[in-house]
Amino acid sequence: MMDAGRHPLIDVLTNSELVHLEGEAHNFTATIRRHPRYVSEDLCTGCGQCADDCPVVVPNEFEVGMGARKAIYSPFAQAVPNSYIIDRENCLNDDFLVCNNCYKSCDRDAINYDDRGEDIQVRVGSVIAATGFDVYNATAIPSYGYGRFDNVLTNMELERVLNATGPTRGHIVRPSDHKVPKKIAFIQCVGSRGEGGEAGCQYCSRYCCMNAVKDCLLVKQHEPDIEELLIYYIDMRAAGKGFEEFYQRSLGQPELKYVRGRPSKILEDPDSKDLIVYVEDGETGQLSRTRVDMAVLSTGAQASCSNPKLAEVLGLDLDENGFFKVESRWGSPLHTEREGIYLCGCAAGINDVSDSVAQASGAAAEAEKFVVKHRVEEKEEEKKELDVSGPPRVGVFLCHCGINIAGVLDIDALEKYARTIPDVAYVENNLFLCSDEGQRLIQDKVLENKLNRVVVAACTPRTHEPVFQENIEEIGLNPYLFEMVNVRDQCSWVHTNVADVATEKARDLILMGVARARHLQPLYRQSIPIQTSVLVVGGGVAGMSAALLLEAQGFKVYLIDKAGRLGGRLNNLTRVYPANLLAVELARTMVDKVHDSRIEAMASTEITSIGGFIGNFDVATTNGNFKVGSIIVATGADIHVPDGAFGFGRYENVMTNQQLEDILVAARGKIAIEGKRPKNIVFVQCVGSRDPENNPACSRYCCPTTIKQAIRLRENNVNVIVLHRDMRTVGAKSEEHYRHARSLGVKFIRYTPERLPQIIGSGNRAKGVELVELALKRTLEIDADYIVLAAGMVPDKASTSHLQEILKLPLGADGFFSERHAKLGPVETTTGGVFVVGCASGPKDIADSIAQGAAAAAKVASIVSRDRVALDPTTCIVEESLCRACGQCVEICQYHAPSLVEAVSGLMVAKINQALCMGCGTCASWCPTGAVTALHFTDDQINSMMDALLAQEA
Amino acid sequence: MAPRLSKGSGVLVIGGGIAGIQAALDLAASRVKVYLVEKAPSLGGRMAQLDKTFPTMDCAI
Repeated sequence: MMDAGRHPLIDVLTNSELVHLEGEAHNFTATIRRHPRYVSEDLCTGCGQCADDCPVVVPNEFEVGMGARKAIYSPFAQAVPNSYIIDRENCLNDDFLVCNNCYKSCDRDAINYDDRGEDIQVRVGSVIAATGFDVYNATAIPSYGYGRFDNVLTNMELERVLNATGPTRGHIVRPSDHKVPKKIAFIQCVGSRGEGGEAGCQYCSRYCCMNAVKDCLLVKQHEPDIEELLIYYIDMRAAGKGFEEFYQRSLGQPELKYVRGRPSKILEDPDSKDLIVYVEDGETGQLSRTRVDMAVLSTGAQASCSNPKLAEVLGLDLDENGFFKVESRWGSPLHTEREGIYLCGCAAGINDVSDSVAQASGAAAEAEKFVVKHRVEEKEEEKKELDVSGPPRVGVFLCHCGINIAGVLDIDALEKYARTIPDVAYVENNLFLCSDEGQRLIQDKVLENKLNRVVVAACTPRTHEPVFQENIEEIGLNPYLFEMVNVRDQCSWVHTNVADVATEKARDLILMGVARARHLQPLYRQSIPIQTSVLVVGGGVAGMSAALLLEAQGFKVYLIDKAGRLGGRLNNLTRVYPANLLAVELARTMVDKVHDSRIEAMASTEITSIGGFIGNFDVATTNGNFKVGSIIVATGADIHVPDGAFGFGRYENVMTNQQLEDILVAARGKIAIEGKRPKNIVFVQCVGSRDPENNPACSRYCCPTTIKQAIRLRENNVNVIVLHRDMRTVGAKSEEHYRHARSLGVKFIRYTPERLPQIIGSGNRAKGVELVELALKRTLEIDADYIVLAAGMVPDKASTSHLQEILKLPLGADGFFSERHAKLGPVETTTGGVFVVGCASGPKDIADSIAQGAAAAAKVASIVSRDRVALDPTTCIVEESLCRACGQCVEICQYHAPSLVEAVSGLMVAKINQALCMGCGTCASWCPTGAVTALHFTDDQINSMMDALLAQEA
Repeated sequence: MAPRLSKGSGVLVIGGGIAGIQAALDLAASRVKVYLVEKAPSLGGRMAQLDKTFPTMDCAI
């Protein structure tokens, strides 16, 4: 958010909307209406004096009405832009008596009551619609009493209650009496899956299951004395990378109870304001009444109410749910009916954060095709650096992080203490140093006080160090003269209940931070020339999607696949949903496009070796060698072979869903297996998935696949019974298909892992399935001609281990490639210039794989659209005069960065390739002569921290 | 006020939530000019309202 706000190429137009669009792809003219803010963004510094003086108090939308704000306000502390805005509906100046308080209090004359807004016209080559979602209005289900009963909240309200900056400052209290609740009920699917009356939606809102699990864990963290957290659910849909594992972890919490069932109503005890939840347990069939202190409704997500107006401006249609209609011809979720206009996030349906992020990058790659000729030339700015040659003058900035830090640590005491540390020239504290205001504060104070080192005591450097580094770089202070001390994760969060000890630890960490800061030296990023060609490994949908988009942007692309033809898994499928395309047709469309393009596609080709680094990879294959600047890994996954499970391998009529798919692909019209029309088919879900011992992950693709196959069979008059644990139909149109399958008469029966269905057979054929029916507690015997096992998706071990080795890509516990960040970096890896897409990083459906391929294209373009790449200067270097060329660094480095070369003197010495070095420092600690220095983590810098701490103890 | 007409050609991104911001950043990283339009007074969308994201439990802002 901050990054977008400060990027020189991004014009942020808030309080604005698109009102007109004319022209076509390559050449649109957009009219954007900037609504009046009545406060100048250029002049306002966000000091907040105006809001202090404003007499009007109204409910705060950001706090979903729970907190208060003034008529002149900033939406939230870290808002971008941080300029205030006047809400004229509530401002007194439109009344008979003019108030003018804000006008008078602003010493920068930023207030302008006569602001009329303006229409701005811009020329663009393409458009991306990234509209979000609205939350279902829970008052539409009167039986849950939302709006009538004080202690019924929505999940969005709970998010704000849990937040340290929220209306209760992170304390969980129930609204009626501000007491800490002991028992909380979470009610799922409120307004989703056809459970919300006319105002509700038919689809699954996808985010709410995991949101409830997360909130329960957070509630427990905030209030360890909580007695009971009840989640009432229909199916627990933990279908995403790491989700099932997260859910499994929550099952170990004794306070957390999952109850399968949908409450019929909630009543309020008028005296105590306690709530009584009425529910029929879906597993035991028992009716129960449960008294709780508070209830949280997991409200569904709906299409943004701004969609109809925007659709009209963009000339697009909406679907029956109010989302933008996807042009499904390409199997991609990003395309609209109009060329040059793309969709992402929740514009076309509900997505979780990581899929939204992948789609957003994908839409960027699509949009970029139309503006490749308009890339902005970058000028090498000669930035003037501040003079830092004098003795250290350290500035220490303490962040409250709302109450995340200040709620536990004694900030005043820390501030006083920091002033006493030698060389500290300035100390200041701030509510949010990451906000616009906080960032400017640091800049101003550095310049005013001629500071040459900055220490920020705040949250985690993992997400925020770059933010602060860029900030000081803007004013000419070298970004490596910055030190971050994590007093949140390491102090206030882990030692919440012992504030004095936490403060003491924060003191020590700050002392050590200052000690290191004294020894910090400026470092400079070198840049190296790069190759602008790209290698895509794997010719399935994800790989082809990436390759096509990069080619469309004019880059040279090599696309290789070890199979004899492109298309990957698509070649073995019938239809692809939600697009409802014949898989062979989609495969043909994409493969034809690849062959018609300038992509160098090579089937039956394998990688033999890859050397080099970002911008300069040397690739050797069984089909020739080439150089590329970036690599996309799209090697897909395998399907689990359920040997021995459920009679697979023993009975000839037990097959996997892929084997059934092969039969369905071959079937023209009528379906026949072994020459006959089958009568009864039983599906068993979660075979080789959600199994804590072997594969704890949910494979995500199998539920929708079973539904697809069940519908096809049912349409051919086959009786179909699906044995499942939770039906996880979370993707676009998936829930609707589930509903359709049920309406066609497909039967769904639940089983639990404790009572697995037993296959009955004789000879080499299975006869049926025996299963304990949970609700009726009786054993069912189900006849079956065929039993289909929905086999999970597992890593393609051969490809994965080969590429892991040569590209240094980390694998997750599930055996799939790990992404840089599960939410925010879904296609990036920890190796620069290397990206992972599709099922290589975990199970995905066709549409998500295509979106990920597109996303990687955008990431790659950001590298190869330049002819140089900047390298991180925190690497290791060798002091030649100390090196004895023992070669131990060469041995130990897993990135192959050091090598022995002949020095000018004629002697052999170690030299470290700066582009390959990851700065891990292993060689520096290993080097017997101390010849290797890890820049930014030098012995001086590290030892000074120890010395400072120990000197204090002594 | 007279309308302004920009020179050159960029991409228009509608919506300043997590998806819109990500799209804008990726385009800008590839040297493409972006106009990021948001109807609310601040960027951030729904994500800014969330407390933490799972499973990494990072700060949502």
